[in-house]
Amino acid sequence: MAAFIIRRVVWTIPVILLVILMIFVMMRQIEGNPFQKTNRPVPPQVQENLERKFNLDKPPWMQYLLYVKGVFTLDLGPSLYATDRDVMDIIKEHFPRSVKLGVLAFLWAIVFGIPAGIIAALRPNTMFDYFLMFFSSLGFALPSFFVATLFIYYFSVQWQVVPVQGWPLGFWELDSRVILPSLALGLFPMAYFARLTRGTMLETMQQDYVRTARAKGLRWRSIVARHVFRNSLIPVVTATAPLFGLIITGTFVIEIIFSIPGIGRYFINSVSNRDYAVVMGITVLTSVVIILANLVVDLTYGFLDPRTRTSRT
Amino acid sequence: MAVNPREATALQPQPAAPPLPETAGEPVRQSNLWRDAYRRYLRNRGAVAAGILFVVIVLYCFLIPGFWFVPGIWTTIFDIDYNDANFAEVHLPPSLEHPFGTDQFGRDLFTRVAKGGQISILIGFAATIAILVIGIAYGSISGFVGGRLDNGMMRFLDALYGLPYLPFAIIALAIIGTVNFWTMVIALTIASWFTAARIVRGQVITLKQNDYVRAAHAVGARWYRVLMRHLLPNTLGVLIIAIFLELPSVILGEAFLSFIGLGISPPDPSWGSLASEARDAYRTYPLDLWIPCLFIAALVLCSNFIADGLRDALDPRTRET
Repeated sequence: MAAFIIRRVVWTIPVILLVILMIFVMMRQIEGNPFQKTNRPVPPQVQENLERKFNLDKPPWMQYLLYVKGVFTLDLGPSLYATDRDVMDIIKEHFPRSVKLGVLAFLWAIVFGIPAGIIAALRPNTMFDYFLMFFSSLGFALPSFFVATLFIYYFSVQWQVVPVQGWPLGFWELDSRVILPSLALGLFPMAYFARLTRGTMLETMQQDYVRTARAKGLRWRSIVARHVFRNSLIPVVTATAPLFGLIITGTFVIEIIFSIPGIGRYFINSVSNRDYAVVMGITVLTSVVIILANLVVDLTYGFLDPRTRTSRT
Repeated sequence: MAVNPREATALQPQPAAPPLPETAGEPVRQSNLWRDAYRRYLRNRGAVAAGILFVVIVLYCFLIPGFWFVPGIWTTIFDIDYNDANFAEVHLPPSLEHPFGTDQFGRDLFTRVAKGGQISILIGFAATIAILVIGIAYGSISGFVGGRLDNGMMRFLDALYGLPYLPFAIIALAIIGTVNFWTMVIALTIASWFTAARIVRGQVITLKQNDYVRAAHAVGARWYRVLMRHLLPNTLGVLIIAIFLELPSVILGEAFLSFIGLGISPPDPSWGSLASEARDAYRTYPLDLWIPCLFIAALVLCSNFIADGLRDALDPRTRET
């Protein structure tokens, strides 16, 4: 187990380096890039100072290494648009809000999605099962911007249950304003978890060890809890890794619709403002978050299912 | 990359299927995989209904506003241009001439939604095909050559998996500079070709161990013949399914980008941009938002059902319980 953990953790480092390299190369390809020289006459001293400030006087590989160093020391340099601020300050201010949104969305998914899937699997082909499958199909197909708009209109404007907009800024601060955005974002993972849990539960219930347990005369309830549920959990845990990417994509749209001052909305604004330092910083940050999430999921997977420790690196 | 749970389960090892009941007394009939698959597909009522609805939506999107050199039904009968503003007819309620009403510039929504769907579907199919072509090339090389190269190529894919879909597509769009049909296709392809590559590689590696592949090697078949004749045709079934799994995520991706305002530029519509325009006036004109969104949802649902039906039809062993 220790060897597995070490191998897996060590492997993450070159992956992060490669991803940073790719983002670095991509960002350098963008036309109208402030890092490129223009025809506009700039006093040579200013040009030189600017180049020194953004490390442009150094060869590209050196710039890359300096950027990597910046990532690991959490210093991503100044923003190009809001010149008095550092990229890291902006991330520190906005990222926790997005994390809160994402975590709450995940909570909806886990708290409602997984139990719904279990109940549906225990009573297949009943009304509840059909209802749930129908509902989860909708969760997949309806775009989140549509659901979010309907939520705002009906819950906030029409029935005035919750305020239209706003977001409690403190990380631990929660009030009624967080319900709609997190629910709109959590609908997809909820449908995903419900369906996946149902599928794997039904599959596990056909395994020989479940039949053996039933033949031994164990109570159905304890079979479900000890044999079926625990073994069905593994695919559900693996499925959370790609979900992180989706949640991050979802926050972009949800933050815009609900005017949440999170990292996704800042990213979109930075794209319009051509603030490449921020765009790059946020992209690297989200990539690293996804890579680390994958790492955690893989480790959990190895913990839950010892067979995977040797085959996966 | 929107992940589909069906995809997740499809990638997991499936339990061995129980032996099929043999129908005694029936004469042995010649059959082939595709005819069998066709029959099995027709037996799945949900998949057939989804297929019909899918075709109806596609026909609506292409025939009503017209495409390429084909004149559109609606645009010809009522002499409408889907991009022409007409301020005398702003926000008309549904009528015979404008079954979906008109928008804030007096443009007919019936043809606009159809044209938007056409653009969304074309982007979806073009990106999906590009994804599959890249996936086949990358996956088959990686799986076929194996060894160090395979390891390296898969590690590279692992790294790409770390890139978040939307920022990646947005950066790709920024690199290309202008936003039009093809740049959308390229951006969406760049951001989501990894899954197809993985599927093809897995399939090639599984197939490589089959006896007929070893037999082909034994009688002296060259590597390209083995690959072209034995390996890739056998991945065809999985790839057809992959088209319908990829399509909804690409269409949703396009809708997201257009919704944020980074997609197809006006006045050309797409379902995402139509929804985005309609959102501000939802209170007074809810229909304008519902229609494009329901079309997106219908297309995504149909694709999912078709993919399900195809999987059951092409590979009965993977049938879901």
